[in-house]
Amino acid sequence: MDKHYILHKYLNKEATPDEIAQLRSDPEFADYLRLAEASSGFEPPQFNASANFDVIHSRREKKLSGQAKPAYSRLLKIAAIMVLVVVSYVFISSLSTTVTTDVAQKETFTLPDNSIVQLNSNSEINYKKRNWKNNRLLKLEGEAYFKVSKGNAFTVETPQGDVTVLGTQFNVFSRDTIFNVKCFEGLVSVAFNDTLIKLPAGNKLKVENNKLVVYTTTTTQEPAWIYNESSFENASLITVLNELKSHYPITITSPHSIANKRFTGSFTHENLNSALRSICDPLQLGYTVDGNDVTIYAK
Amino acid sequence: MKDPDSVCNEAVFNQVYNDISQSVWRFAYYKCGDEAQADDLVQDAFIKLWSNCAKVALAKAKSFLFTVTNNAFLNQIAHKKVVLKHAQLTPSKVDNESPEFVLEEKQYHKKLQDAISNLSEAQRTAFLLNRIDGMKYAEIAEHLNISVKAVEKRMSQALKQLRSEFKNI
Repeated sequence: MDKHYILHKYLNKEATPDEIAQLRSDPEFADYLRLAEASSGFEPPQFNASANFDVIHSRREKKLSGQAKPAYSRLLKIAAIMVLVVVSYVFISSLSTTVTTDVAQKETFTLPDNSIVQLNSNSEINYKKRNWKNNRLLKLEGEAYFKVSKGNAFTVETPQGDVTVLGTQFNVFSRDTIFNVKCFEGLVSVAFNDTLIKLPAGNKLKVENNKLVVYTTTTTQEPAWIYNESSFENASLITVLNELKSHYPITITSPHSIANKRFTGSFTHENLNSALRSICDPLQLGYTVDGNDVTIYAK
Repeated sequence: MKDPDSVCNEAVFNQVYNDISQSVWRFAYYKCGDEAQADDLVQDAFIKLWSNCAKVALAKAKSFLFTVTNNAFLNQIAHKKVVLKHAQLTPSKVDNESPEFVLEEKQYHKKLQDAISNLSEAQRTAFLLNRIDGMKYAEIAEHLNISVKAVEKRMSQALKQLRSEFKNI
C-alpha cells in the first residue's frame, strides 16, 4: 500500500498498528512520524475565554444601540432623497428653457409639439416645456422664424407686441423699437399697442415706435436671413447697422448726419466687406475697416 | 427568538461560545501567531455571529465562525512574519531518561517549533489543527473551505518541509 496514503491515515488516527510499524520501517516516514508526534506535544498559549467574552458582550451592546440609529436615519435618508427628487423634478419641469444665439450664430430647434423655430443671430427665446401642448407661449427678443404645427394658439410674446397663430409659418423681428411680422402661411394675429391685426399669408407688417408703418404684401417664401442674408425695405440706416452688428462682432462709428438715410436691399452674413459694400454703395457712403472697428463716413 | 435552539437565544449563544471559542481562537492563532490579533478575530467572529443569528442555524454556527475568521484574516493585509510561541512542552512520556537525552529532546523541540513557525500560513494552520487540536482532515477542509485533497497536500508539504529543515543541519 502507498505509504503516503498510510501516513494520512495515521494523521487521521485511522491507521492500524501494523500499518504504523510499516511506516516506521521506512526512514523517511519514520522521520515524519517523529515530527508529527513531537508536534502534537506542543500547546498554544492559553486563550482567555472570559475576558474575551466580556469584550464581546460590551461590543455587542454597543452595536445594538448603534444599530437602531442607522436603521432610523437610513429611512430618513431615503425619504429625504425622494423629496429631493420630487421637488427637483417639479422645479426643473416648471423651469423655462432658454435658447440664446450670439453675434454671428444661428440656431434651429424643435419645440415639444414639433414646431420648428429658427433663431437669428443675437436673439433669445424663452419657453416652458411643461404642459407645452396646452400652453404654447414663448418669449422672443430678436428675430426668429417659426413653422408652427397645428394645435392650440401659439403665441410669441415680444416687448412690443404679441403674435398669436394656430399653425403657420411666420417671421417675427423685434429689436429696439422695431417690430416686423411676416406671415408666409396661414393666418397670424398681431397685437401691439391697442391694435389687433389679422395678417394673412403673403403679407408683412412693420411697427416702429408702436405705430404701424407698413402693411404690404411680400413675395418671398421664407425670410432672407434663413439663407444668411438680411433684407430691408425702406429701413432706417440705424436699424440696418444694428442688424449688421448682430451678425458680425464689430463696433460701428458713423456720423449723425447719415442717421436719416433709408436703406432698401440686403446684406450677406458671410462676408463683412461684401455686407458693408451692399449697404454703403447705394447710399454713397464710404467705410474703413480696422480689425473689429468699422468707420462709416459720407463721401 | 421563539426557537429555543436559535443562536439569537442568549443561553444558546453563550453555550456556543463556551464550546467553540477556544478552537476558533487557536485556529486564528495558528494563522497569525499573535495572541492579541487572535483575540480580535474571535471577538469579531462572535459579534458577527450574533448580528447574523437569525440566519445561522445552531448546527452551522461552528462552520460560520471558522469561515468568518478565515475571511477576516485574509482581509488583514499586513501580517508580520509569524513567530509561534508555543507555551509548554508536554513532559516526555519516558520517565527515566538521561540528562543528555532530555537536552537533545529539548533542542529537537526548539528546532521543531522554529520550523513550524517557518511554514506557510496555509500549511501551518492545517498542520496544527490536525496535530494539536486533533482535527480530522474532513473537519479541517470544512473550516478552511478547501477540499480534503487539498488538506492532504498541505499536510504532506508541511511534513516534507519540516523534515528538510532538520536534514539541513
